[in-house]
Amino acid sequence: MLELTLQALFSGLLAGGYYATVAVGLALVFGTMRVINLAHGELVLLAAYVAYAAETNYGVNPVMAIPVALVIVGTASAIVYALLSRINQDREINSLILTFGLGIILTNAILSIWAADIHSTSDPWFQDSMVIADTLFAMNAEVAAFIGGLVLMAGVWWWLNHSWQGRAVRALSSNRAAATLMGVNPRKIEILSFLIAALLATFAGFAIYTGKTVFPALGHVLTVKAFIITVLAGMGSIPGVLIGAIMIGVIESLTVTYLSASLQELAGMILFLVVLFVSPSGLFGGGRALAR
Amino acid sequence: MTKTLMNRIVLTAALAIAYVGVPLLLGGNAYVLGLIVAALTIAGVAVAWALLGNLGGMVSFGHAAFFGVGSYTSAVLAMKLGVPVFAAMLLGGVGAAVSSIAMLPALRLRGPYFALAILAYAHIFQILATEMTAVTGGAGGLLSIPRFPTLLGFEFGEKLGGYLIVLTIVVLAAFAYDAIRRSTWGLALKAMHDTEVATRVVGVPSTHLKAAMLVLSAFITGVVGAFNAHFISFLDPDYAFSSGWTVLPIAAAIFGGYRTVWGPVVGALAIYLVDQLLFKPILPHGHQMILGVLLCAMILFSPGGLMPALRRRPVKENRHAHA
Repeated sequence: MLELTLQALFSGLLAGGYYATVAVGLALVFGTMRVINLAHGELVLLAAYVAYAAETNYGVNPVMAIPVALVIVGTASAIVYALLSRINQDREINSLILTFGLGIILTNAILSIWAADIHSTSDPWFQDSMVIADTLFAMNAEVAAFIGGLVLMAGVWWWLNHSWQGRAVRALSSNRAAATLMGVNPRKIEILSFLIAALLATFAGFAIYTGKTVFPALGHVLTVKAFIITVLAGMGSIPGVLIGAIMIGVIESLTVTYLSASLQELAGMILFLVVLFVSPSGLFGGGRALAR
Repeated sequence: MTKTLMNRIVLTAALAIAYVGVPLLLGGNAYVLGLIVAALTIAGVAVAWALLGNLGGMVSFGHAAFFGVGSYTSAVLAMKLGVPVFAAMLLGGVGAAVSSIAMLPALRLRGPYFALAILAYAHIFQILATEMTAVTGGAGGLLSIPRFPTLLGFEFGEKLGGYLIVLTIVVLAAFAYDAIRRSTWGLALKAMHDTEVATRVVGVPSTHLKAAMLVLSAFITGVVGAFNAHFISFLDPDYAFSSGWTVLPIAAAIFGGYRTVWGPVVGALAIYLVDQLLFKPILPHGHQMILGVLLCAMILFSPGGLMPALRRRPVKENRHAHA
């Protein structure tokens, strides 16, 4: 019993790592543009399918596909930004519907190119299991994704806090008008946030392809999950998002272990609604973004 | 004045064609009639979605929840308790309206938060329908749900009868939408859309009005869902709560113009028929991509939808006129 629980907690922790990379991208874009990019999960999916195509069509190790995926996902992300920035009327509603539509386009493009089958890497190294303590197991891919995700997020965190552009991102998020007056070019910073989001999405897509399975409908699920996590964390900080992501990961894996796999999504959804109703600024406060 | 007269004439002619012309012309063509019934089913949800979006100012990504709850309520009432089908259909709407009461706390959320909270509800209802095997038949679904009966010698269970029922539902929903828009409620809701705080200050109970729009929108969607259940006589959770019941109506409402009364109906007919007759044969997988393209193109080039865009040509209108 204890072993099962420990294993569930551990798997949840590892899953939380890549959930967080998806969620940080979503939160970053929300910070600079005040827009929830409902096509964000589809960008993650796109990266995963680029890795799949590289592996099956060209026999390349999925790691080698990362640069290509970066270019493709970055371009797609920039297109999303270019279209979003054209909206000037009823911005809140219209940008939601626009990104919703873009998500539909991406999902269906993937569906028509690669069909609805479930895919995962065929490289045995990723699937090999690693024994952490005597009863804790994880796949190599999961551990690699968790560590890689932490490093990447630490990098983004450092960038946000210590570089001029990172500070400009935060300035734009907290007060757009003032930031613009201080010499921040909002368009430049906005597109930068989309590119960083694409970088995180590419990494997450790669992690899902190697450690889990991918299928076209996953993009939508990931967007919703990332949104739930940012609501839990209050959109505020990267450490907050990481904790929120691990929480969702752990709750899901406990649900799967003790109740049933079909209830996996339910647990996260219910937690999401409870937090929205009880504490709409997130669990860790600092959620000025939400209150606005 | 002449403009409203023109509108009346166009509307009367359209209704005459719908009630008399279509049955006479297409009554024998079961395939096309079936497609039109499906398009009108989407139109009904699209009107309900537009009512909430335009009057309530809320984007919903979870109308599939109401559709599913309505269809299950009605099917279970008719099958297990022997409630007459027409009464069960209305009760399906009531069931969906009741389920929307569980969503009332979401009304204080705005924009994306409301949209995704309602999506979470839809997921929760779908999972509940799958897990409550005793009532809903679980993932296996419900088979041979009673069809519409024969009344006064007319077979409502047939395609043509189904067409007349769903047409009537859609027309009544659109009339209700129109009536609310013209009432003082509609005025208050329009004011709320412009500035909610100021509207509340002058004593408009904005939360109550939004709640009323949510419940009404849920009721209409539930009735449409119930109609669909009895028309096709089969239900399973994946179908009844399918995201298609959210995506297609949104695309239809945006395409036709969700700030107009008949835009969602025209949009649903156009989008569904073009999708099924034109794109599905070309792109068997992923033909919904076209819906996404249409949705984005409309938002970017004509956010008001098709109806205002067509009307804008001859008469120069106030472009900010909405609600």
